[in-house]
Amino acid sequence: MIVRRVGRFFDERLGSDAWLRTLFAKIFPDHWSFYLGEFALYCFVVLVATGVWMTFVYEPAPGAAYPSVLKFTHATPIGYEMRQVHHWAAVTFVAAILVHMGRIFFTAAYRKPREINWVVGILMLTLASLTGFTGYSLPDDALSGTGLRIATSVTESLPFIGGWAADLLNGGSYPGPLLLSHLYTLHVYFLPVTIGALLAIHLGLMVYQKHTQFVPDERRVVGRRAWPDYALRTTAVFCATTAVLLVLAALVEINPIEAYGPYHDWAIPNPAVPDWYAAWLEGALRLGPAVELRIFGHPVPAVFWPGVVLPLAAFALVVSWPWIDKLLTRDDAWHEVLAPATTAPWRVGVGAAMITAGVVLTLAASDDQTAAAIHVPVTALVTLYRLAFPLGSLAAGLIAAAIAAQLRERYDRYGAHRERVVTLRRNAQGGFDEEEPAAS
Amino acid sequence: MRTAALVVATLAILGSAATAIAHLNPALVGGLAAVAFGALAVWAGASAVALHASDELTEPRRHHGPTEGPEPVELMTRSGLFGRWLWIALGGFVVAGLVPLVSLGRTPRRGGTAWRRGARLVTADGKLVRADAVGVGGITTVFPEGNVGAHEASALLIRLEDGLAQLPSDRTGWTPSGNIAYSKICTHAGCPVALYRKESYQLYCPCHQSTFDVLFAARPLSGPATRALPQLPLAVDGEGYLIAQGDFSDPVGPDSWWRTV
Repeated sequence: MIVRRVGRFFDERLGSDAWLRTLFAKIFPDHWSFYLGEFALYCFVVLVATGVWMTFVYEPAPGAAYPSVLKFTHATPIGYEMRQVHHWAAVTFVAAILVHMGRIFFTAAYRKPREINWVVGILMLTLASLTGFTGYSLPDDALSGTGLRIATSVTESLPFIGGWAADLLNGGSYPGPLLLSHLYTLHVYFLPVTIGALLAIHLGLMVYQKHTQFVPDERRVVGRRAWPDYALRTTAVFCATTAVLLVLAALVEINPIEAYGPYHDWAIPNPAVPDWYAAWLEGALRLGPAVELRIFGHPVPAVFWPGVVLPLAAFALVVSWPWIDKLLTRDDAWHEVLAPATTAPWRVGVGAAMITAGVVLTLAASDDQTAAAIHVPVTALVTLYRLAFPLGSLAAGLIAAAIAAQLRERYDRYGAHRERVVTLRRNAQGGFDEEEPAAS
Repeated sequence: MRTAALVVATLAILGSAATAIAHLNPALVGGLAAVAFGALAVWAGASAVALHASDELTEPRRHHGPTEGPEPVELMTRSGLFGRWLWIALGGFVVAGLVPLVSLGRTPRRGGTAWRRGARLVTADGKLVRADAVGVGGITTVFPEGNVGAHEASALLIRLEDGLAQLPSDRTGWTPSGNIAYSKICTHAGCPVALYRKESYQLYCPCHQSTFDVLFAARPLSGPATRALPQLPLAVDGEGYLIAQGDFSDPVGPDSWWRTV
């Protein structure tokens, strides 16, 4: 009754019934892998909900931040749960984005006309990592404080502008009086609002351009109605995501800052490892060569190469991937239908190589613990990982491409005929002719 | 089953709220909330399966090629507004816009640390350190008196067998009774070099595994650090307490562009 009256109120003023009818009747292609992006989206929703709550109890000031976190963790009935859910949602958010990105990559969903949404997605991945890092740093505990010290050193290593940039972030020499307040503004305002804006573009473009599909029909969307079929499915994904995050938060302690203690520049917990999504950069810093270049007498510190050049190069490679793909395939055609991974073995190879490179760097971030566990010197592991970073990635890429090529060959030989869909049309003589497949 | 799921969800979420108000185990609060959301997911999933109505519906796709008619860029340039002077004016605004940005940060000019000639060494809890306070093979973190915790002032005081350290000749007399002190801030990325392997006389950074040779002026042995840890020149005052002869031998912490060694 109330809903109906509200609906009428808006319809009389905006004609909203027509939009809603169109929206309800909209068709979405259906496949389990299309829900991975929603998994990430709902992590973001949980992050906003729990994060807004924490803004009321957290104090972003030097000396006050750490006690304020401890206080709300233990003095309020749900403070501990809020922090746990928020942190679990953060690490899951980045993971979900990466898995979603993997689906997009291996099915080549980024091809024309969807290059824009690929770029928007990569920007969101980057911002999600930055939001994670700034949030992880807010409690000002011994572990995250050391992470900030490293981040400051990396910023300072920039040629020419390094000191200025580090000073800008810190609001003075490290650890500046404004560092926490800057991180707080970035974490609760700039970064999430930007993610929200990009999310609106991402979803808006997805609706406008319509979702890709596996059904080999370039001209029509084949799938389910938005209401109620798709709405129920996405509700289930939201509730399941929230349930999983709540279970993790209830059962597995994450980021126990009570155990680390407050930050001092002279104390650190051991072992010292960041959250998983930042570990590849930490690993790169561990593997980086002990070389300090001099340019006109100015030092370019060792952290510059693994800390600045490597992530920028990785970002440039990933962001420009749709165009690299175009160069390699000479394919600038319009694609509404996804390419199953095996149709392009080289793409599978590139993906496998990049995943391997990331895994090697991530493993390197805990090389000291691995070395202690298997009783080898850390230096031996460093050498191993340094070799594995280029060579292991290359090998993994070649092996994955070879497997994909074999699968494709087998499919071409045995599978293609069985799964081909043809339309038969009765001809004037009473026989049947195959109708030409719809051209794209 | 769908009704049962909704009943479970309602009971569980109210139970979670009640548990929170009663200040019971946080894991129970979260666990009950998880059950509630899980039950809702079951309801939505089961409802979706029960419908199984609109499996293979279709709608036409949009296909965009180049749009017919004159390009907007052409319409804009045709107006004749984009003359040379407009670009020059815009350039002026961009250049002027850099000023607020640049003024936000300044290149930090770092002086030294809080160590002064004659500053007495104290531990993190403020206790003065006698020349025999640390046993041979021992290690402790020290600060200048009155500046405990001061930025980049932390030093590691290690007691070696007297005469074991092989230091450059200009550092003679810096290690009274085998007491030797180095900056605790790693020259690689600024982490505290918190670990000491006394059997091999190596300092070890837990962040990136740089190791430093305590016997040879803390030169880097392995890991990504390229520069030795700065040494703190030590002496003993009239009352037998350890003092500094001055600030560290080199700038503390990582290098950067404007910070030449």
